[in-house]
Amino acid sequence: MHLLRSEGDQFVFEVGKRETRLLQDTLKLYPLIPASHPQVTRSSEGDQIESSQRLLEEALAEQRAGNRKQLDAMLSEEGRFKPFKTGFRLTLNPQQVEWLLQVLNDVRVGCWLRLGQPDEKKGKNINLTPDNARYLVFMEACAYFESVLLSALEI
Amino acid sequence: MLKTWAAIENAFCLTYLWRMAETAEPLVRPDVGHEEKTDSKEDLEPGFLVICWDDPVNLMDYVTHVFQAVFGWAKQKAEFHMLQVHNQGKSVLTRESMERAEHYVHQLQKYSLHATMERD
Repeated sequence: MHLLRSEGDQFVFEVGKRETRLLQDTLKLYPLIPASHPQVTRSSEGDQIESSQRLLEEALAEQRAGNRKQLDAMLSEEGRFKPFKTGFRLTLNPQQVEWLLQVLNDVRVGCWLRLGQPDEKKGKNINLTPDNARYLVFMEACAYFESVLLSALEI
Repeated sequence: MLKTWAAIENAFCLTYLWRMAETAEPLVRPDVGHEEKTDSKEDLEPGFLVICWDDPVNLMDYVTHVFQAVFGWAKQKAEFHMLQVHNQGKSVLTRESMERAEHYVHQLQKYSLHATMERD
């Protein structure tokens, strides 16, 4: 996947056939972060914190439901992925790029959680099993797609 | 015809205004015992730190981008905080009232960053 051109407020990406399938399969995993994972604070004191935590969970749940709906619409939208010689052309405006970044990163972090939160710095390696191996692939796929989107926004 | 209509309209307005001047019995009595919820001093004071914590999963470029998007920072400032997170394990991004701190934490968590608010 690479940026073919940016015209006006539209980014046109060229995506290979296999990349398109990988992107679509990755996006189907959304949302992957468990609702209980995000914490509003590390401190455990006070009633206000409880209500803040509840607010956060509600806000994220609402955002995820909206994103999922938008994602389904995008994946089923005719012409969103326009066939081209070696693959497809995907056209997105800056808001859609921003939104796609959020969605991809949710999947990336969700995959990381399912892999047991590996951390090289702390010497915590990935414990790969037949059940979780696919999450490693999707986690790296997200990083790849995110990098392409971020580079496009830089231009 | 026009004149007649104007006279009717005039009379209607007078009646309406006259009625307005009457003291009407309120249909709903004011709730004397009810107290409006106001923000406490604690809610309004900038006593909360918004902190972003290091994790091994979020890409450095992505974190920089999120800081720019959420706080409207220039790239240089966003990169400074991103590097602080990366090298020191955390970065205090801003000091805000509880409400504002909550807002920023929500925004950062929408991007799946590990951000929290802590009492200063």
